[in-house]
Amino acid sequence: MKSAAPLSVRDLTVAYDRVPAVHHLTGSFAPGSLTAIVGPNGAGKSTLLKAIAGLVPLGEGRIEGANGNIAYLPQLAEIDRSFPITVIDAVSLGLWREVGLFRAITGAHVRRARAALAAVGLEGFENRQVGALSAGQLQRALFARLMLQDAGLILLDEPFAAVDERTSADLMQLVEGWHGEGRTVIAVLHDLERVRESFPDTLLMAREPVAWGATPDVLAPENLRRARYVSDAWGDAA
Amino acid sequence: MKKLALSRLTLSRLALACLALALSFALALPASAEPLKVVASFSILGDMVRNVAGSNADVTVLVGPDGDAHSFEPGPADASALADADLLVMNGLGFEPWMVRLAAASGTKAKYVTASFGINPRRLSEEEKHAHDHDDEDHDHDHKGHDEDGYPEAAHDFDPHAWQNLRNGIVYVQNIAGALAEKDPDNALVYQANAESYITELKKLDGWVRGELAKVPQEKRKVITTHDAFGYFGDAYRIEFISALGVASMAEPSAEALARLVDRIRQEKIRALFLENMSDPRMMETIARETGAEDGGTLYSDALSKPDGAAPTYVAIFRHNVPVLIAAMQKN
Amino acid sequence: MIYDMAIAPFVDYGFMRRALVACFALALGGGPIGTFLVLRRMSLMGDAMSHAILPGAAIGFLIAGLSLWTMSIGGLVAGLAVAFLAGLISRVTALREDASLAGFYLISLALGVLIVSTQGSNIDLLHVLFGTILSVTDDALILVASIATLSIVTLALIYRPLVIECFDPAFLRATTGGGTVWHFIFLVLVVVNLVAGFQALGTLMALGLMMLPAAAARFWAGAVWSLAALSTVLAFLSGFAGLLLSYNFNLPSGPSIILTAGLVYVASILLGTRDSVRTRYFPRAHFHD
Repeated sequence: MKSAAPLSVRDLTVAYDRVPAVHHLTGSFAPGSLTAIVGPNGAGKSTLLKAIAGLVPLGEGRIEGANGNIAYLPQLAEIDRSFPITVIDAVSLGLWREVGLFRAITGAHVRRARAALAAVGLEGFENRQVGALSAGQLQRALFARLMLQDAGLILLDEPFAAVDERTSADLMQLVEGWHGEGRTVIAVLHDLERVRESFPDTLLMAREPVAWGATPDVLAPENLRRARYVSDAWGDAA
Repeated sequence: MKKLALSRLTLSRLALACLALALSFALALPASAEPLKVVASFSILGDMVRNVAGSNADVTVLVGPDGDAHSFEPGPADASALADADLLVMNGLGFEPWMVRLAAASGTKAKYVTASFGINPRRLSEEEKHAHDHDDEDHDHDHKGHDEDGYPEAAHDFDPHAWQNLRNGIVYVQNIAGALAEKDPDNALVYQANAESYITELKKLDGWVRGELAKVPQEKRKVITTHDAFGYFGDAYRIEFISALGVASMAEPSAEALARLVDRIRQEKIRALFLENMSDPRMMETIARETGAEDGGTLYSDALSKPDGAAPTYVAIFRHNVPVLIAAMQKN
Repeated sequence: MIYDMAIAPFVDYGFMRRALVACFALALGGGPIGTFLVLRRMSLMGDAMSHAILPGAAIGFLIAGLSLWTMSIGGLVAGLAVAFLAGLISRVTALREDASLAGFYLISLALGVLIVSTQGSNIDLLHVLFGTILSVTDDALILVASIATLSIVTLALIYRPLVIECFDPAFLRATTGGGTVWHFIFLVLVVVNLVAGFQALGTLMALGLMMLPAAAARFWAGAVWSLAALSTVLAFLSGFAGLLLSYNFNLPSGPSIILTAGLVYVASILLGTRDSVRTRYFPRAHFHD
């Protein structure tokens, strides 16, 4: 599962309506690393993930190494909760790479889907309607889908934002499991405690990179202050 | 000296006399060196007027060949034609529901004549009335009030297609001739003469129609058509016109009406089926397929065909319709 | 008695049989399409499309008279043009699809009326362009049946991406980079079904039989495939019952069928097993472990 080359970003700028969200970012994510992206609101963190996932056009600069199987979990799921689909069917979508859009889903696939559900603590929820799940349960289901995607690069945007402590803890364990399997994981987070606890690397940004490296170094107080200052300045200019 | 003065006086008197003569001569010249402006409501009436008036009248027809007077919507050109007219010839009996408004809008001072005045009108059956209401849904019905044509106000109670009986056609011609003569007395004799020869032709035609139709035995004298225009023809020449009106003229017919019609056709073994160029041909195809009836061709009822068509005159309508009807009825 | 009222009409009259077959074909194609229209919140789009296809059909009529194929092709081109333009505008500008669709279909409708008026015909062109179920011709029947087959096959092929695109479009974009193409294929199917339906059965029927049963089915079924199947069944039954009403009670055929479908819809709102008025006020006993 280890991706061979690092995921590197060279002088990346991504702008919305001419206002840069990501501004001249350069750096790289080592293969198999577990990196948190933190920063004040509007710092371009989600945008960076979207750029890596290939969902927004790049303004300037390049991203290298973002090939192959990428799994992306957006912040606000654009999911239609009223759509009549069962949990197991929704989760099985993670197998799209193997099953494609037209091939049949075999018994083996179903077993793997059930295993994934069990791994996220949703055993027994297979035939429940997606619309009937709580926020925490939905997030678990989406994690199960991610598992089935079996991706080498996993991008998570605020994965613990709307869920309870118990669920966050459980899901974080899964994330650590992926890291243990050698997958590269990048997650945007707000909770600095969790970052200090579980994430070896951190990128602190406020449109521009403020610090990127080992977590204890990056989350030093003067860095955090600088990040706030940079974002305030931008606020005036923008 | 006296002689000269006298001759000057004489000259001036002569000049005056000449002037007076010239003036009176000019005044006495018939005002209709210019032809009479006649507006006819639809093409069949237009044809009749032309036959009676000849070159003495300039005839404008509002609803032209192949047009549908029932659903006609007059435009500005029609209003201005009417405004300039000396005489308006219309059918009456509710055939031109739009006429009153048009006449008012045009501000015309033309006299009008109702061609059907004096004929014995046919009452519409409930079904025919119902179908007519559907056709006329979008049009105004404010031809109430005026009673000069001598008929009761609910014009929708009567079948307007009176010209389909040639004997009524003769009455039409007489009415038209009378109106023309009244409006243009100087040419009254011309109109009279033309009318008489035209009426003679119509009488001969009537005889010919009866003779031809006699070839068809009574039990075969049945025809299905989509238009209710042949009531007078049917009554006069003893043919039963069965109407597919409830089924063909409505946008959304009921299955029951269609089934009843199909039953009737099958029962009476009618094969003669006539499409009107105005309704949905698909419905007629369905009936034809269901019953084995065949499309007999086109019948002309409410309008002349175009000049190069099969029925460019009133007389031609009968010359066309009768053989077509006979051919279809023989298959019954 | 039942035989006389319910079976005999179809035995005795060919036009009743064809009408029933036409209902079946329309239900088969329209059921799944209607289901997806409802799920994708595109219900009013069908109504808009019925007006959008008018100028195309009118031009077809001007060229070749009441020819099924020219009018259908004309209508198809017009419908697709409007759908395509609306989609394009919504993707390229800030205007959302429903607004741009409204704009284009109104333009299309006005154009259609203009073309029809210059023709100067006295016939009610809308009713002639779009027939009634009692006078379905052989050609129209073949058309509707072919369209139904085409729709089912295409839907089966694009079922999964279509479902994902409804349910989680971001996921589809992130994993395949696409999404728009499935939407357009679906739009083409919608337009094609509407055009075929209009030609054979009139505007009211074609659209009504697509939308009403699909809306009703939501109160009974909970998975996409069962919604589609139920829609088809309800559509066919509405056609059957409506035809019988028209036959036994002398009511116009098209409206009878649609009103039957409407009654089914209202009954579903009130009495359905999911999210209906009944479940709200008379809930079923809940599960115990």
